[in-house]
Amino acid sequence: MASPTELLSGIAKPMPGYDPIGGRDQLVTDRADFASITSDVAGVIERKTTIGWWVTFMVSLGLLGILGLSVAYLVYNGTGVWGINSPIGWGWAIVNFVFWVGIGHAGTLISAVLFLFRQKWRTGINRFAEAMTIFAVMCALLFPTIHVGRIWLLHWVFPIPNQMSAWPNFRSPLLWDVFAVSIYGTTSILFWYVGLIPDLATMRDRAKTKIARMAYGIFALGWRGSNRHWQHYEVAYLLLAGLATPLVLSVHSIVSFDFAVSQLPGWHTTIFPPYFVAGAIFSGFAMVMNLVIIARWAFKLEHIFTMKHLDNMARVITLTGSMVGYAYAMEFFIAYYSGNPYESFAFVNRAFGPYAWAYWIMVSCNVISPQLFWFKKLRNNIAVLFIVSIFVNIGMWFERFVITVTSLHRDFLPASWDYYSPTIWDIGAFVGSFGLFGTMMCLFVRFLPLIAIAELKTVIPAADPHGAHGHGSDHAHSDHPHSDHPHSDHPHSDHAAVDQGHGGQGHSAPAIALQKATHEH
Amino acid sequence: MSTDHDTNEREYGLLAEFTNPGAVFHACEKVRDAGFTVWDSHTPFPVHGLDKAMGLKRSPLPWVVLVAGLTGASLAMLLQWWIGEVAYRMVISGKPLFAWQPSIPITFELGVLFAAFASVFGLLHLCRLPRHHHPLFSSTRFERVTDDRFFIAIESGDPKYDREQTRSFLASLGATAVEVIEDRDVD
Amino acid sequence: MGGSHTKTWPSPADLTLPDSSGWNKVPLIGALIGVACIGAAAAMGWTSGRFAFAYLTAYMYWLSIALGGLFFVIIQFAARAGWSVLVRRVAENIAATMPLFAVLFIPILLNMDHLYHHWLHPDANDAVLAHKAGYLNKTFFLVRAALYFITWTGLALFFHRQSTRQDVDGDIRHTSKMQAMSYPAIALFGLSITFAAIDWVKSIDPHWFSTMWGVYYFAGAILGFFALFGLLTVMMTREGSDLFHGTVTTEHRHDIGKFTFGFVVFWTYIAFSQYFLIWYASLPEETVWFKHHLAGNWEAVGYVLIGGHFILPFLFLMSRHMKRNRTTYAMGAVWLLFMHWVDLYWNIMPMYVPHGAPADYHSHFALSPEDILTFVGVGGLFFATFAFLLRRQAIVPIRDPRLGESLRFENF
Repeated sequence: MASPTELLSGIAKPMPGYDPIGGRDQLVTDRADFASITSDVAGVIERKTTIGWWVTFMVSLGLLGILGLSVAYLVYNGTGVWGINSPIGWGWAIVNFVFWVGIGHAGTLISAVLFLFRQKWRTGINRFAEAMTIFAVMCALLFPTIHVGRIWLLHWVFPIPNQMSAWPNFRSPLLWDVFAVSIYGTTSILFWYVGLIPDLATMRDRAKTKIARMAYGIFALGWRGSNRHWQHYEVAYLLLAGLATPLVLSVHSIVSFDFAVSQLPGWHTTIFPPYFVAGAIFSGFAMVMNLVIIARWAFKLEHIFTMKHLDNMARVITLTGSMVGYAYAMEFFIAYYSGNPYESFAFVNRAFGPYAWAYWIMVSCNVISPQLFWFKKLRNNIAVLFIVSIFVNIGMWFERFVITVTSLHRDFLPASWDYYSPTIWDIGAFVGSFGLFGTMMCLFVRFLPLIAIAELKTVIPAADPHGAHGHGSDHAHSDHPHSDHPHSDHPHSDHAAVDQGHGGQGHSAPAIALQKATHEH
Repeated sequence: MSTDHDTNEREYGLLAEFTNPGAVFHACEKVRDAGFTVWDSHTPFPVHGLDKAMGLKRSPLPWVVLVAGLTGASLAMLLQWWIGEVAYRMVISGKPLFAWQPSIPITFELGVLFAAFASVFGLLHLCRLPRHHHPLFSSTRFERVTDDRFFIAIESGDPKYDREQTRSFLASLGATAVEVIEDRDVD
Repeated sequence: MGGSHTKTWPSPADLTLPDSSGWNKVPLIGALIGVACIGAAAAMGWTSGRFAFAYLTAYMYWLSIALGGLFFVIIQFAARAGWSVLVRRVAENIAATMPLFAVLFIPILLNMDHLYHHWLHPDANDAVLAHKAGYLNKTFFLVRAALYFITWTGLALFFHRQSTRQDVDGDIRHTSKMQAMSYPAIALFGLSITFAAIDWVKSIDPHWFSTMWGVYYFAGAILGFFALFGLLTVMMTREGSDLFHGTVTTEHRHDIGKFTFGFVVFWTYIAFSQYFLIWYASLPEETVWFKHHLAGNWEAVGYVLIGGHFILPFLFLMSRHMKRNRTTYAMGAVWLLFMHWVDLYWNIMPMYVPHGAPADYHSHFALSPEDILTFVGVGGLFFATFAFLLRRQAIVPIRDPRLGESLRFENF
């Protein structure tokens, strides 16, 4: 009889990225090869600008104009043009700020946290998600910047020596925000840029015009794929992911401190930090979902942004949505359990008071709508995915609205109770911020590789130097990994769904052409 | 091609091309075992385990980053203590002038900021980048290093370097092409 | 890759605990130690109530580890993880000790008057407790406890049974079933552990409240589990008596180490957030908890937690070397297991007031024999059950479809 060691060593060692149960494998469908990945991704930039892009860009620019107007009017007149009053001193500005920071968090989660967990499906969407993070943080930073009213005194938030010998108050959570969000933005840009370097080199080497070659070349820093560099590069990337992970948790925790360090019922509760983080990831994933669905359709990238990605994101949305639901329930339970009449009042008022409409929008969008994703059929329906994700973002915006406004509008002193309504300038700034986001996003997809080219190559079977596929691209197309496994005859339901999702349109023309070309070499 | 070069022209070294990661991986192992020291491999993406196949040591970057992170965190704590207790003593909402509890957020954030900058600048320093001119860029073939080709470059500075012998050695490793690279930067 | 079509699968008998293994003796020895220690502690401290508090600490400690094991198994299926397959059976066995904890809950029920007398026999003028009576009353408490044990035992045995059945028939559908079950399991687990922590620990001090409490106990539980899990992988792969025959490598342990590190940070994050928000808002109805738990020399225990539960393991586990070296890793794991106990001790014990103590009694930290005896006693029974389960089936889920991936697993 064979020894246990021999028996175990006889067990088939699968290909990287291949999962016998289905559900994890086939990140890049169509059995892409290195050249096809390069040309598919670079092709998005190199092709002629489409009408669709121009339309989107122009609409975004228009909204950006509205933002400019709203901000200019605000700066000229002061924050009185907004709907804020006493006691509701925090209105849409903080709501929008928290909303946008939250959106940004999914990008870091996808690029850093999923990287640390070796979730290979993140490859493919991480670049896109990181870009989203940076632009969302830009939008987020805008609101606290303008809400100070006298924006020319903004430098007072930084510890800069000055003739008044005055220093910022480091015990204020709002100052922690200044540091947390700006450092988050900085680190996100560094992380994104490090990831971009090899791809910028790819763009440089493919560039047809001298200007493009110069532009990409300068930022590619002379990258030449050296393995003495890759070795440090991988460590640096891992370190940045390791830094970004606690950073992303800290940022939304600190944002939650803005509320939770106060003594206000509805704001002061200990679960706020992880609850805010879960909510941020929740809304961010929904935003990534929306953007990815648009991008895969607009740029014909269905074989790279696969249904598998969408399915996994839907699962994360349901998970984090349930966490948010847990926090809502826990707040309500503790409002009862505490026996504190102010706590109970704040929550009963939230659900049944003047802002009940906002509360129930929040609950239905955030807690109920993602439960649809328990059903595989709905998780694999693009329309459902898209609509539910929009609902989630509406719900998460309302969550911040509910937290901010309902907690404030019933002061401890009933004489000062009031109702808050936004003015046109509140609305203009918020709607306009989508213009800023959209403009940046359009420029990004036009000029930078929206998929991490070098990284995507590492997850296809041919990248494994020891696999059967690593020894020659001819092999890469001859046999299917499943045939190597004893369970290959089992029906792979997940898999079938992926294949169905694409029908025959998965192969892009350049991919096929390049595959042929590489074979003839 | 480069076979008829004058011997007195400076040459950077030899560049061998491979078509797949497996081939370059095994070639690297052989180059390493043959005792070459001044050489490198170039790939479109980090090939798993290639650092070991090349015999590279682990990157020292984590230590740099750790020190930077601790420095940033300490400086942040110091700054908050100094402003609270020394430079601007002001009681606000009954809180102590300085306490460790509310100083944690910024201490953490600045620690991360310093560490993140150290990761990026440490990386650039270790790679001696940016370097926009490199002899290898003179090769047209090398343009595909960022696409789908894999290369090994052995520099003429290597003690074991001999143009003809090294060339046939590289060819024997399964290289699809071997070319001599001139060093145009050095005059 | 070739040859896999014709290969023979190992049968469960090929990879069971060898007769020579010391683990065979653990069920008997553990049970004897367990009964003896708990009995001795009960004899010493039954009337004073010290036994009740010491026992609750020990119970919540070992329960947290079993719950951590259950959560780990659930997450492995939810995330469709491959790296952990080789060691997953260890966690399945840890989780499957759950019926033991249902039995071990009996001493807590018998000591409810010591532990929960604040809400069982509230002061007639106490409006807050009168308000809470709808939740904090004996009947509902017992109903909830029953629900928790049904949930946990049901989940633990479901995963254990599906996985061990797969050993025999190799049917891939077991994995699919466990994956499907893992998602509702996360929800059930999250709710049950939260309310169990509120019922059994927080309600000792029934006036106090914190929405973070459930997450706090959860964070400690997962950390405690990972520490023990790592320690077990070292113990079970000792040279000469390697139960895994060399298949569980430094790589697997390194990954468990990374998780341990992650949960050190997570626990700190949760603990700090809870403490800090209460510190900053400074509301008397919330700070009163810290007043009790930082009174007298309990404050020193608090500092030990900051240093020993966070700073030291954080720096220690950050190093790749410490995680990959067997000895240093085992030392770190033992230290964290100890710190997890200090954490629960600090959460529970300051509320202990000896039976018949004077009105001006001040709680202070003083280790008593009951504390140690109950810790060892419940631990003995836990290990006895674990080792009993270990003997009953293969050490490794030998027909798990992702076993191959676990066998070739390497870190970054």
